[in-house]
Amino acid sequence: MLGFHEILTFLGVIVVASPLLLTVVLGVSSLLEWKLTEETIAKFVYVAIVSGLFAAIFVLGGMLISGERHIAIDLGHWVTIPHHYHFSVKLIYDRLSVPFAILSFVLSGTIGAFASKYMHRERGYNRFFVLYAIFVLGMVVAALAGTIETLFSGWELVGLSSALLVAFFQDRRAPARNGLWVWVIYRVSDAALLLAAVVMHHIRGEGDFDQLLGTGPWPEGISSVTANQALLMGLLLTAAAAGKSALVPFSGWLPRAMEGPTPSSAVFYGALSVHLGAFLLLRVSPLLDKSYMLSYVVLSLGLTTAIFAYVAGSVQTDIKSALSFASLSQVGIIVAEIGFGFRYVALVHLLGHACLRTLQFVRAPTLLRDYRTLENAIGRRLPSAGAPWGLLYAQHVQSWLYRLGLERGYLDTILKSFCVVPFVRVFRWCDALERRWTDFLTRDASRESDKIKPHFGTIEELT
Amino acid sequence: MQVPTSDENRLGGPTGLDSQLHHLSQVIEHASHLLPGQGPITVFVHHNTLHALEDLPFHEAVKKGSQVYGCQPYLAEDRYREALNRGRIRFSELQEVLARDLGDRATERIPCFGNRHDLRLALLQYPLRTGPTEELLWYVANVNGMRRIRQEASSATRARLIAETRRWVMRDLRTGKGNGNGHGAAASSNCNGTGSACVPDGLKELLDRFGESTIENWTDDNWEEFTLQALWRVCCEGVRNLPPFTPPPMESVRHRDLLFEATGADADVPVNDLLIRFCAAFLDQGFAHWQLPERDKGFYRSFCSLYRRRYGPPDPWMRGLDHELGRLEDERIGPLESIRESLEILGVREPEWESFLANTLLALRGWAGMVRQVEVRGDRVAHPIPAGSLVEFLAIRLLLDRFSLAYVCRTELGIGTPVKDFWQLARGRVDPSWPPSVEQRAFLVFQLAQVVGLPPDVLNRLKPHEWGAIVAEIEAFSSLERRRIFHLAYEQHFRTQTLDAIVLHAPTHWGRPVAPQFQVCCCIDEREESFRRHLEELAPSVETFGAAGFYGIAMYYRGAADAHYVPLCPVVIRPQHWVTEEVGDAQGEVNERRARTRRALGTATHQFHVGSRSFALGALLTGGVGVLASVPLVARILFPRLTARLRKVFGRIVETPLDTHLHLERQETTTGPDNGHVGYSIDEMTDTGERLLRDMGLTSGFARLLILLGHGSESLNNPHNSAYNCGACGGSAGGPNARAMAQILNDPRVRERLAKRGLPIPDETVIVGGCHNTCDDSVTFFDKDRVPESHRQEFESARKFIAQTCDRNAHERCRRFMSAPLTLSFPSAHEHVEERSEDLAQTRPELGHATNAITIVGRREWSRGLFLDRRAFLTSYDPTQDDAESSILTRILGAVFPVCAGINLEYYFSHVDNVGYGAGTKLPHNLASLLGVMDGASSDLRTGLPWQMVEIHEPVRSLFLIETTPDAMLRIIERNESIGRLCRNGWILLAVLHPESRVVYVYDDGNFRLYEPQASELPRAASSVDWYRGWRDHLEFAVIGS
Repeated sequence: MLGFHEILTFLGVIVVASPLLLTVVLGVSSLLEWKLTEETIAKFVYVAIVSGLFAAIFVLGGMLISGERHIAIDLGHWVTIPHHYHFSVKLIYDRLSVPFAILSFVLSGTIGAFASKYMHRERGYNRFFVLYAIFVLGMVVAALAGTIETLFSGWELVGLSSALLVAFFQDRRAPARNGLWVWVIYRVSDAALLLAAVVMHHIRGEGDFDQLLGTGPWPEGISSVTANQALLMGLLLTAAAAGKSALVPFSGWLPRAMEGPTPSSAVFYGALSVHLGAFLLLRVSPLLDKSYMLSYVVLSLGLTTAIFAYVAGSVQTDIKSALSFASLSQVGIIVAEIGFGFRYVALVHLLGHACLRTLQFVRAPTLLRDYRTLENAIGRRLPSAGAPWGLLYAQHVQSWLYRLGLERGYLDTILKSFCVVPFVRVFRWCDALERRWTDFLTRDASRESDKIKPHFGTIEELT
Repeated sequence: MQVPTSDENRLGGPTGLDSQLHHLSQVIEHASHLLPGQGPITVFVHHNTLHALEDLPFHEAVKKGSQVYGCQPYLAEDRYREALNRGRIRFSELQEVLARDLGDRATERIPCFGNRHDLRLALLQYPLRTGPTEELLWYVANVNGMRRIRQEASSATRARLIAETRRWVMRDLRTGKGNGNGHGAAASSNCNGTGSACVPDGLKELLDRFGESTIENWTDDNWEEFTLQALWRVCCEGVRNLPPFTPPPMESVRHRDLLFEATGADADVPVNDLLIRFCAAFLDQGFAHWQLPERDKGFYRSFCSLYRRRYGPPDPWMRGLDHELGRLEDERIGPLESIRESLEILGVREPEWESFLANTLLALRGWAGMVRQVEVRGDRVAHPIPAGSLVEFLAIRLLLDRFSLAYVCRTELGIGTPVKDFWQLARGRVDPSWPPSVEQRAFLVFQLAQVVGLPPDVLNRLKPHEWGAIVAEIEAFSSLERRRIFHLAYEQHFRTQTLDAIVLHAPTHWGRPVAPQFQVCCCIDEREESFRRHLEELAPSVETFGAAGFYGIAMYYRGAADAHYVPLCPVVIRPQHWVTEEVGDAQGEVNERRARTRRALGTATHQFHVGSRSFALGALLTGGVGVLASVPLVARILFPRLTARLRKVFGRIVETPLDTHLHLERQETTTGPDNGHVGYSIDEMTDTGERLLRDMGLTSGFARLLILLGHGSESLNNPHNSAYNCGACGGSAGGPNARAMAQILNDPRVRERLAKRGLPIPDETVIVGGCHNTCDDSVTFFDKDRVPESHRQEFESARKFIAQTCDRNAHERCRRFMSAPLTLSFPSAHEHVEERSEDLAQTRPELGHATNAITIVGRREWSRGLFLDRRAFLTSYDPTQDDAESSILTRILGAVFPVCAGINLEYYFSHVDNVGYGAGTKLPHNLASLLGVMDGASSDLRTGLPWQMVEIHEPVRSLFLIETTPDAMLRIIERNESIGRLCRNGWILLAVLHPESRVVYVYDDGNFRLYEPQASELPRAASSVDWYRGWRDHLEFAVIGS
């Protein structure tokens, strides 16, 4: 039996090692400016994803055969202060993480194959695949994480690569602007997760999930924390999940994320990235059992998001925004399901939704042809669905709701006016203080950068 | 100001007001012509991107275009220099073009640089870096520009430069005999202005820094460094006191531009964001589930009533907008009045209206252009919009601009004044032009001196006026001018190559093939050039023709499985006839059943797609069956060809039976889409048939089998699919037209009437229609069952030839696909292109019209056997059958000119500035409102062609080569305004081939002059494959066959 367990452990390590190796190979070769050809990159991606996928499937098979429902692979304690603190890297294979890891491999693998043709001869081909590798690594690590620190590192990698992929076309203004927006929201959610980690260490002295959530295999674990502790940690984790999954009020970033090339929007924001928040909530779902308050918050957050996204999605006129709001609407429902306590339903819903949405995203540019085919089959113009639920309200309510949808619930504006602007103002004020101080010390204008005009490049060639 | 302000006008009473409004609407109408003319993407029609400027000569128009649209007129200089390096432009051609361009002015002396011609040639040859001083500092540090002489300088020049400097330093400078008595910086030198012993301060200091005492021990590197720095100081001194460069007078700008320049805050961003959303909702052709409320009231009213409601967007810049909109609505202020009001508030005076409004429209040109297109051509969309929508759009735009500008003024400048005052204020304060700095000007001379080998002492001796002359000369030959010269040379090279091929080839090939085995007619499309060539190579006794792919049949067509009529004809024609495809009676029941099944499946699919985006149903569907989507997802991406085949097999179960026919004959006298009115009368059929045959010059020598081929293109994930289809069929596949024409010409009654008109078609001639799919290179034939037994064998053999031709055509196309190996065999090449057409991930299913560069109108006999590399449109025309007035040619050119020039110029502009004129890269494209594509989440509508389509295109104006006499062509140019304008203004290059002597005359400045070939012999190859095999790039023209 020992041998069997060792094999499983070995396979379990491969699952993470293969995307890690891919990241290292592509990343290091980029840093050293070794120009890899498109075929070579595609081959590396293929090998890494296929070996990771099969290792994950074998682990699943092994678990089914042996009947084990919870395998933990400890990759060592990196920092230990006896009785106070320890920091370890740990992978968990259970009923939640294995399906999610397999989903990540299947979807990223398919999209990798897609992108290797789609991005053909694009200047950023190499950059795309470096970010892609980081993303896959992040997804897999986050899926299999057994401690909150491990989860956090995966979470960070996903966030970093996502924001950079949104800004993939960096020479235009809109992608840079929207990439920054995504990045800021992600940072907020990272901060929440980090705080949760601190709280967890404070309560337990370590970041291992099984200590916090009970040792039973997911989802049967029973947490041993008190209701108030659960509420505090749960709220922080929910805030983290809300940022990552674009729940209200952070929803504005999801349509903005459609700036990148089609495959990256498809898999990353339409399918995988956006589910990571829901996954986090699933992972810590035993906490929800501890606190009704927390369940209630999660439930209402999910429902609000779903309804908002449905209204906004109904008025969208471009395919990518429509699909992203459709995604969001389902993510909202998944979160609501978690709040209700339907763990398996939520998991199945999540897996199905990710697959279907990816297919719809990669087919998005073919919309015109699909519409023609459908019209020809039906024999007339496609019927329009009208207002949601056939809204029979008065005209002014309808118009008001329509505008709300068209303006995406004013969420971005609200965030900007009530969070960003005050925040920036405070720091500008500090900056002004500092400038006054340094000016006083130098007895002169102390900043050279003030004198330089904002320069946007004249089109010299046209004069 | 002489111009009456609007306040005065208001006092002038209602007539003044009305006439002002009338004037305003005219101004808007005029300004709107500058908007892109591209219609909905579903009916993509190629047209000249700068159609609005066609009245100007080409080079002036592209220059004007660069000012109006801010886009590049030619390729970047580096691209041309690279072409010069690889021999695509020859140096001698560059010299020749330059000399011709300069004329008498070429030989004027320029101090130090010889004559003007030499100086300009040097400027063309060597790239000169320029930019703001900060950028130059970075550049110099980066390339070690003050230590090492530029790479471009030859080693001899370099050695001479250093040696001269050394001599000068050792003999003159050190001994104080420097003779820099002339240069403009005399005041800064230590001489008294008259004596000859003066050394500029800068140089003296330099000498000290390098260690004058140890000068004997300086290494070569030291000397090189010293030379450069001395040169730099001399250049700086030289240009320091020159009069400043006067930039061309600035075009009038918008408030936003001034503010942007002054503060870096872009007032257009929030306005555009809002307008993009609203325009997309307003123009939506049925994508959104929930339509804009009160859309039918028009842009202005629906916007007002939507955004005047309370509890609206909390954006600070929109504060007060609801009140303003309420006021407009309550006081019944119309869009035009509102525009005038806005202009007044913004302080724009009447003479500036046009340029200001044009620039305002161009700020969101894609959407504004689409509003105009949908407004004007409501017949091409499902949901038309009312007339006057563009004016309403403009009214809202200006209103929002006002709010946004006021907000930016308030937050960035802290001005609370009304925007009007700002306009006056800002014009005085903000100067958006950037005069070049001393360093920037000196750096040009500095770089040039290195490559031509001008030592510092020579420059040091220059007088101020000489410096002025040099700098003025350099600045006069701006980048735009340099690129124009480059471009002329670039085109000249190609023109020489093409005309040489024709002049050498044409006189050696006379006469049509005798007793051809069968005849094939294709569209004039340049993609069919290789198809015809390969067919002619495979079956030398075959004769081919080219005619505009709608075959003279302008119709609204509805296939048996289609929902709507589609116009199949050039976009300028509005069809008068309707044609339907019907299923044979025997199959009627089957068809009914299948149609029902299709409808049920279609409805279910539609419901599924709508449902998956909805709320509860979405949850059920995604949760329940979502995982199953992974199967088609993986299958379609990893095994596209296999999946496509499987889908076809299943699709066959429900598709219409193959036994269909065209309903082509009409019973009633009037035409219409309904029963009885569908189709043509026999006389109308005879007319169209006769016209086609006479156009092609096919009035005798019919083979037993004549095949007419339309063409189309099928690919996945390609919003621009329509642009790959037949342009003559309005962006659809032209199969039905070929089929209809075949049916018409087979009709015995038509033949009888044709014979009476002197155009007998032999009884044994059978005509078959077909369609060539240019993406997967397959040919389908229609009405095969109607081919009589007597011709079956010939038809089968023709089909075999055509199938082989398809393989070879695919093979030749594959050489241009970088992802297709060069080693492919014919069948595997065919498989490769099939896979492309079925692959969701493929962004280049085919390369469309890329590389098109020639338009040939004339008999095939003289271009047959010439490898034209898929670059030539080929139209058949026989001048010997035309009348003295060239009426057939006039008719043909009336269609060929706008179509071929339109395609060529659209490719030209989309290539030279893919971001500005084109649609940018395809990868982030996002279909909006079923009308066009945006970049990513939200952007202006992208008009023009995506980079993937134009990537391998070579931007040259099309060379029209027409088989006729110069006199006849001049007459056509004179009589036909649209043709004449294109020729006279140089939007195309024109040449004629004399039908009898077969010599070429080139059109130049209103006259034809005899062309003299530069080459004496053409390369030869046994077959096309032998010529192109192993090459990816453009190929020279060669003679194929022995």
